[in-house]
Amino acid sequence: MATDSLQVKAISATSSAPPGIQEQPTLAKLIDVSTCIGCKACEVACQEWNDLVASENVPFFGSYQTLPDLDANFWNLIKFNEVEHDDHLMWNMTKYQCMHCTDPGCLIACPAPGAIVQFVNGIVDFDQDQCIGCGLCITGCPFDVPRVSTATGKVYKCTMCSDRVGAGLEPACIKACPTNCLHFGTKEQLVQIGNARVSDLNEEGYKNASLYDPEGVGGTQVVYVLPHGDRPQDYGLPENPQLSLAVILWKKPLKWLGGIMMAGGIFAAFTHYLCYGRKDLNEAEPALKEEQSGQENL
Amino acid sequence: MNAENDSICRFTFKERLIHWAVGILFVYLLLTGLALFSPHLYWLAFVLGGGTTIVRWHPIVGLVFFGTLAWMFLMWIRDMRFDSRDIDWLRQVGKYIRNQDKGIPEVGRFNPGQKQLFWLQTISGILLILSGIPLWFPSFFPQGLRLASILVHEVSALVAIGGLIVHVYMGVAFVSGSLPAMIHGTVSRVWARTHHPRWYREKEGQTRNSD
Repeated sequence: MATDSLQVKAISATSSAPPGIQEQPTLAKLIDVSTCIGCKACEVACQEWNDLVASENVPFFGSYQTLPDLDANFWNLIKFNEVEHDDHLMWNMTKYQCMHCTDPGCLIACPAPGAIVQFVNGIVDFDQDQCIGCGLCITGCPFDVPRVSTATGKVYKCTMCSDRVGAGLEPACIKACPTNCLHFGTKEQLVQIGNARVSDLNEEGYKNASLYDPEGVGGTQVVYVLPHGDRPQDYGLPENPQLSLAVILWKKPLKWLGGIMMAGGIFAAFTHYLCYGRKDLNEAEPALKEEQSGQENL
Repeated sequence: MNAENDSICRFTFKERLIHWAVGILFVYLLLTGLALFSPHLYWLAFVLGGGTTIVRWHPIVGLVFFGTLAWMFLMWIRDMRFDSRDIDWLRQVGKYIRNQDKGIPEVGRFNPGQKQLFWLQTISGILLILSGIPLWFPSFFPQGLRLASILVHEVSALVAIGGLIVHVYMGVAFVSGSLPAMIHGTVSRVWARTHHPRWYREKEGQTRNSD
């Protein structure tokens, strides 16, 4: 969780209006995949700044990658994607972490008030004190980022160093990058820088180079320059991430319908009782044929 | 039958025990589920021990619930089969609802409405457990399945809640004498003859044979 200098724009499972009232520019990271050398300095900086100790004794899995996947104590992973395309082998080193979506599926899916917040500057942050460990954010996330800790039962992910950003610093990964492959600034600036880099790549012959800022989640506060922008899956990025229809249906119309149905059902039951009353016992009913033989005289 | 000869056994001890186990577990699952369903109902989480507690227990209690539901299913399935006479009753269910019971077909141990509830809750119970497991262990199931599970879990829970509202209303208020029957196990002869005449005659036949 971050400092008070960050204004809150959205809070999970909270019906009252979020308190953020100040205008603040949207901040973002730009990852220029074409200049990443896979040095993993960002991984180390992330672990150091956030005081995280990655799991030891992970069996070798045939890759240069540090770990097979993100983890509750490993929030920034360079994926070393080995891809064969048109008889070329490509070794795509791609930094992977929370994308800080403009429409965060995790926050929308979260049932615990205050466990996930989105700041006016675009950072999506988890508050583990409020997290109840249900894992619904994992299902709501289109990028498969949040991870449950087996130690605490809570969910963790990249905070975009909200503590540093709240104090006017850049995230630790950005600070550590030796090639300037990582940039930090306002989203507007970074989109300009990214587009300029894309046109450079186009001139160099990467005809499909593009900026990865998926619209399906309202854009992300982590944008990529991809030399082969037509194939984001070659970089371990989903091709067309969407805020899932299931999550929208579940949180909007079904919530309303369910509430109306339950309240309406109880109301209907009361009204029915007032209108028709209860079923009386039919004492006067003539005795049934079989029992006319006697036995009782009700 | 009973010594005083004016009450009939409607539900055995085993039937009542299983019915109330299903009912009480359902209410726990309902309240914990509602806490997670809407932020307006999250206070239920605090009442029931806190968010972390209900998240831990909801699925475990769900498994036990499903076990008791399955037991109840096996116990009552014989009596819950629809027969041809039920169609006629269902056609005239409007009269039953409007409390004008004259002329509607006589029913056996359970009326077709009760049978419908039985099958509705059985099916929603199956859907709830099937959709609950991927949500319990998200890392073992693909995301598409988990997203579908969310919708299935929510819709079938709402259907089951709708069924519960009708069931509680019928049992507690509309058909008076039902709740005591499910608590004490017995009903009066006149109650049996009024609400379940075919079952009453069967019971009487048994009594006579055993006399």
